[in-house]
Amino acid sequence: MKKKALAFAAAACAAAMLLSGCGSSNSGDSTTAGGSGSSYILAYASEPQKTFIPGNINETGGGKPADMMFARLVSFDDNSKASNEIAESVTPNENATEYTIKLKDWKFSNGDPVKAENFTKAWSYVANAKNAMLGSSFFQTIAGYDALQDADNLKGDEQLSGLKVVDDKTFTVALSAPDSAFGLKIGYTAFAPLPDSFFDDPKAFGENPKDGCTGPYVFESWKHNQDIMMKKNPDYKGNRPAQNDGIDFKIYTSDTAAYADIQAGNLDVMESVPAAQSKTFEKDPKVQPFNEAGSVIQTFTIPSNMEHFQNGTEEGELRRQAISMAIDRKALCEKVLSGTGTPATDFTSPKTPGYSDSLPGKENLEYNPDKAKELWDKANAISKFDGPLTFSYNVDGGAKPIYDAVANSINNVLGKGVASTNPIPTFQEFRDAITDRKMTGAFRTGWQPDYPSPENYLVQLFASSAADGKGSNDGDFKDPEFDALMDQAAATGDEEAANKIYQQGEEILLKELPAIPLYYSNANGVASKAVKSGFAFNWQNLPTYEEMSKK
Amino acid sequence: MGKYLLRRILQVIPVVLGTTLLVYALVFALPGDPVKAMFGDKPVNEAVAAQIRAEYNLDKPFIVQYLLFLRNALTLDFGNTFAGQPVIDEIARAFPVTIKLALMAFVFEAIFGVVFGIISGFKKGKWYDTVILIVSLLLISVPTFVTGFLGQYLLGVKWSILPVTAGNNPGFIDLLLPAMVLGSVSMAYIIRLTRAEISSNIAEDYVRTARAKGMSNRSVMLRHVLRNSLIPVVTYLGQDIAALMGGAMISETIFNIHGVGWLTYQSILKGEGNLVVSIVTLLMLIFVVCNLIVDMLYAVLDPRIRYA
Repeated sequence: MKKKALAFAAAACAAAMLLSGCGSSNSGDSTTAGGSGSSYILAYASEPQKTFIPGNINETGGGKPADMMFARLVSFDDNSKASNEIAESVTPNENATEYTIKLKDWKFSNGDPVKAENFTKAWSYVANAKNAMLGSSFFQTIAGYDALQDADNLKGDEQLSGLKVVDDKTFTVALSAPDSAFGLKIGYTAFAPLPDSFFDDPKAFGENPKDGCTGPYVFESWKHNQDIMMKKNPDYKGNRPAQNDGIDFKIYTSDTAAYADIQAGNLDVMESVPAAQSKTFEKDPKVQPFNEAGSVIQTFTIPSNMEHFQNGTEEGELRRQAISMAIDRKALCEKVLSGTGTPATDFTSPKTPGYSDSLPGKENLEYNPDKAKELWDKANAISKFDGPLTFSYNVDGGAKPIYDAVANSINNVLGKGVASTNPIPTFQEFRDAITDRKMTGAFRTGWQPDYPSPENYLVQLFASSAADGKGSNDGDFKDPEFDALMDQAAATGDEEAANKIYQQGEEILLKELPAIPLYYSNANGVASKAVKSGFAFNWQNLPTYEEMSKK
Repeated sequence: MGKYLLRRILQVIPVVLGTTLLVYALVFALPGDPVKAMFGDKPVNEAVAAQIRAEYNLDKPFIVQYLLFLRNALTLDFGNTFAGQPVIDEIARAFPVTIKLALMAFVFEAIFGVVFGIISGFKKGKWYDTVILIVSLLLISVPTFVTGFLGQYLLGVKWSILPVTAGNNPGFIDLLLPAMVLGSVSMAYIIRLTRAEISSNIAEDYVRTARAKGMSNRSVMLRHVLRNSLIPVVTYLGQDIAALMGGAMISETIFNIHGVGWLTYQSILKGEGNLVVSIVTLLMLIFVVCNLIVDMLYAVLDPRIRYA
């Protein structure tokens, strides 16, 4: 009898727990609707990997909201054209080693004016290795950067010696080398000004940056793993005025869940398309699709000193060109990517200023099986290569079908066994093998620009100064002629003229092919039917959130 | 009874130590450097990377890292994630929703599993027995993500009967479909288990004896057949509740539930050792407690079982 009572009590207890658990959540359920009364844009997001300190953000989960909250000196329009935002003027000296920056009257969201000091102190904070900011390297061209890298002997508040405050509205930047692209670099999030209150408690600011917003939106709340809300900034007078009342970045566990919510009208916009929908999203009557060539370029790199493929040798050049011409990029984009990629014709992107689709040497990026075979045989006459050339890629990024197709295409043209694939399970392992220089064949590379300039694609990826682990030149390509052109362009104040020189640099790359461009990832995504206007993508392949409206 | 309980609880200590060490070692052995990965395809600033490694003790040998973790865990300080969030906060966010989901799935599979199992078992060979059998077979053989996506598309997107995703602070209705998907496979197993147990127990001697003594069919079935048939079912259910909590990853991902399964997966991907170990330890404790309750319930179901 006693035991029966126990069992009954246990059952009743469990039932009560369940009921109370569900009951309490039902009352809290109304918050799910999140700002549906006003015209907030509900946007797809992932949980930021760091907090909202602009210089410490290195992925889109934090990057998207940060871009909307923190204005910089310059901003870019949808066609990558730069114009002054907080800056009144940005003036380089004649060889682009020193910049004088004057500021407009601008306010932080707590009402404090944005002063020159808010820039110099913020930049120094991020550059200072003691503060362990992921964006530190962006400041390496500023004079005094090297002195801030010995973390053991720093306190964290040391300043970059190259930054000088002239008055409240003016400061100067001395660079350690000429850099005509610096005027564009300052448009990157890491260069945002920070309010005085930030330096009192950077940690608290990262969790709740509502005092330091200068952009079209002001931070409202961040519920971890749920959403990040921001409302329209009423005091904002810049180039990107908000056409809606705010943005609610909803954090999703997967893009498939988000897509289903867009179909059902519970979410307004996402900047990607799940693999399962990539074939059908443009015809899906429940969503508004977007799909155009974007700023991200996908390439693969063959290490420069790899045997039989060495840059600067005749054999290497022949083989690289042969491999490149053996790949049917058009079929790859249509069949494997179902139209979500556009065949590459250069080393930058169609969204980059100074882009041209008709540079001399771009025929090396076109499918030409006969020529490819001819060049390959010529190379074999110099020195026999038994292969295979392995293509390494990370499996977690969904690149398998792409590299299977690349290897197939090469094997079909150049003969069986020339190419093979080497899948590596995770991005981490994959990047480790690259940074430790353990790759013994070709490997997947790609680039998403930090600011829209050919410099960001070319110098960061192919200059000698970025090789040997000092930058993103993962193949350690070194060509004095190319370096000289890059330096020349960097010292050319006029953007048009500089872009012409960058194009000459690209011609060298098209001939030597340190990396082989495959395609530009399309900016693609979907919006719900509720979005009435303003759904487009910017130079970062991200939706133009501030332009979207549901009215 | 008290002594028995105490002994069982003391057994937990070596189990916790062993599990944490094993899981910590596994996370440590994961290839790839989590700090380098933070820089993405940007150049790694070694001075910055060294600072981050020092902050998370990643620059120390494995056994030192583990002992530091244990020492801090004793003071209930489980450390921070790489995003700077206290691990304990992450867990506090993830567990409630998963507990809710797992309990709903548990009740779903227990009720429907046992009820359909009983119907099937007592009415073997009837047409509805066949239907139940076929459906349960189907649920076992179709992977959860297929049932999940199908359910989401049909019930959510197409017919708008149930919410498409659960979202933030999910309530009963939001979690109904995910819970059904989560519990569907176990439900199918329980149906088959109950059915098999009942049909074998019906043929036992004691049932014939009970009938021969003139007991009514109703009380033979309820007091003898059913009670005996439920012991393996209770065992299964008890272990399943812990499995439901840790194994909800697929339904959590499909239905946008930021629960334990999803968090575990994310933390493994990011190489967050402290977080993975903390979650697994908690899950293990839940598992141990569930097992203990099941063992206690045996005594209720079967008077022959006694604990001293």
